Amino acid sequence: MHSAARTPLRRLLLVTSIASVLLLAACGNGSSSSGNNTGTGPLLVGVIAPFTGADAGLGPAYYAACLPAALTINNNGGVLGHKVSCQQFDTRGEPADAVPAARQMVASHSNLMAVVGCTSDEASSVAPIIDASHIPMFCMTGQSEFNKTNLKYFHRLVPPDEFDAYAMVGNALYQNHWNKIALVFGNDIGSQAFVKPAKTAIEKLGGTVTISQAIALGQPSYRTEVAQMLATHPQVILTEALGQPPSDATYLAEVKQQNGGKVIPFIGTSATVDPQWFAAVKGAIGVDDLVNNYQAVDIGTTFSGPGYDEFLTQLNASASQFADAPKYKQRGATLHLYDGIIMTALAMTESNSIDPKVYNAKIRDVGNGVSGATVVHTFKEGADAVKNGKSVRFVGAGGETNFNQYNNSQQGYILVKVDASGNEITVATLSQEQTAKIIAAGGG
Amino acid sequence: MDLFVAAFGFGLVSMSVIAIAAVGFTMQFGITNMINLAYAEVMIASAYAAYAVNRMGISIWISMIGGALFGALFSFLLNRVLYAPFLRKGTSHIGMVIISLAAALMIANILLPIVGYFSVSYTQSPGPTIRFGAFVLTTSQVLIIGLAVLLMLLIHSLLSFTRLGKAMRATAANPTLARNCGIPTQRVVDLVWLITGALCGIAGTVAAMNSESFAVASGATYLITIIAAAVLGGAGQPYGAMIGAIIIGEMTELSAAAISPQFKEVVAFAILVLVMIFRPQGLLARRGAMAAAG
Repeated sequence: MHSAARTPLRRLLLVTSIASVLLLAACGNGSSSSGNNTGTGPLLVGVIAPFTGADAGLGPAYYAACLPAALTINNNGGVLGHKVSCQQFDTRGEPADAVPAARQMVASHSNLMAVVGCTSDEASSVAPIIDASHIPMFCMTGQSEFNKTNLKYFHRLVPPDEFDAYAMVGNALYQNHWNKIALVFGNDIGSQAFVKPAKTAIEKLGGTVTISQAIALGQPSYRTEVAQMLATHPQVILTEALGQPPSDATYLAEVKQQNGGKVIPFIGTSATVDPQWFAAVKGAIGVDDLVNNYQAVDIGTTFSGPGYDEFLTQLNASASQFADAPKYKQRGATLHLYDGIIMTALAMTESNSIDPKVYNAKIRDVGNGVSGATVVHTFKEGADAVKNGKSVRFVGAGGETNFNQYNNSQQGYILVKVDASGNEITVATLSQEQTAKIIAAGGG
Repeated sequence: MDLFVAAFGFGLVSMSVIAIAAVGFTMQFGITNMINLAYAEVMIASAYAAYAVNRMGISIWISMIGGALFGALFSFLLNRVLYAPFLRKGTSHIGMVIISLAAALMIANILLPIVGYFSVSYTQSPGPTIRFGAFVLTTSQVLIIGLAVLLMLLIHSLLSFTRLGKAMRATAANPTLARNCGIPTQRVVDLVWLITGALCGIAGTVAAMNSESFAVASGATYLITIIAAAVLGGAGQPYGAMIGAIIIGEMTELSAAAISPQFKEVVAFAILVLVMIFRPQGLLARRGAMAAAG
């Protein structure tokens, strides 16, 4: 047995075999399917997002949106009597894995009432598939190609990525008066979407991009990259380098090491307002340096009001299904996708149909409200109002929705910090005038 | 120029981490003929074992011993409980590779509910920064380099100057002949799994210290680099793995300085491909430590 692979050639063959096995393993996807094809049983919300791979931190935040939505719906009789459940479909953050995952999802589940997730990593690939299957979707993508999309079933409750980038630039230039700025973003599609608009806006508004680095996610160290960046003497770093563990943790720890124990202030995208990101970076640079040097932009939410209270109650109750769920209580994306699912459920209730072709158009009405609509904050309030023959406008955990003709809804940005426990603290709001100026400078 | 000197210094740290891991991996293959794709997951499990000790307020350098012991025991059991029965049945090499891949997935998925999805960091102090010209390293990084050098010397001494080392080399060269000559090959194989498992445990702890933050998913990243270093040097050759680690470690850092950080892996693996084209057996295949004992 031992002599079988003794020659170099055989060893090479073995190595080739390993490579093939690894490739096969890498090409697989972790999505699961029950093959349940019933149209009369429980309804399903598909959470299609990265649950493994570089952006594996995103999927759980979206799954944490679905669970409380399903709970609040089911606790109040379900949608037209149908119970709602959630299922993960793993895209690994790669279009090559996302497409088969999406196809499997729509082919195997005729009871899909909505799909949530579809990040910038895979939205371009999966949104057309979901749209062709006539399933309403709420995507957490900021890609500009969806600013004026023709996909009828596409909905977006977050601004385009370039707006995130503009808000970061606004934070650096207007709030803190830092004009020497380093850009450190992951080399994945999602992170790179921020770079060009940020660069353009900084340069047009009189700032300087000292260095722009596209770092490979998941590396065990970034020491050389950090040395390069420090040599340009930036006042602030704009960053989004996620992964599992987030590459920002390793990068920022090395900044601290090489910069005489001092961390340079850094501003993260809204995706960094995340308990996993917080835990990793806190562990790497220490809680004091994180609290004192980190700021981020986030979608304007107040984390208060009856819609948020119901969300929080159900989110905490979801811990029995997903232990980390309560950690997403202040994640904008979690709140907005929860709202999207409730909006869909109310649209189904109002149109008295579980046929997406019928209720899809109603989602915009429930979000924006038609003339004379009753404002509701929870599924129960909405279902009761519909029973009484009223039209509803849903103002949920994430606040008001204002869909345009392309089903894009935007609410503006807040600038945030975190406390030692990772709770978000609003620092400022960019004024309309400031936002407009940056958008114009960035070419948006 | 300073950046390249600094990058070279950083490369020393990277290669040290890779070397500790790759030597253990390649010794497992060289002596037991087992390509253990679960190696990186054992590294991560050991890193978590060291983390558990570290959480008790014990220095990470002492906690590393816990990681090494865990890695040794885990690897020994992995072989005895899973691999050895299949090998006894005459399972093909590709079959064993797939079994080890299955073991890797099982370990990762058993770890997740135990240690959680969130990444963790050791409580460690990098110590004062040491500057020597453009070289900028923390005390902790210098200690990691020193530890790697010490371990490489120990492996060299083990293989060259001890009866056990000679028995390992004999087992690697021809196990049947070694057994007929009175070498207790089963005991040798057990000891190999214990020793390489300890190396695996130390490598996991050092890798986690080096990257400041680690999670169950970190294993996949480590495995690719370990295999690259082992194959580049000549599969099954500890000295080859050391050379492979030096090349991969330095090239990733120097290419980040010379070209762009996003191409650092591309350059390192392009070199691997070139070596495989011109010297498919690897750099040291014909005259490594695993040559027959003299």
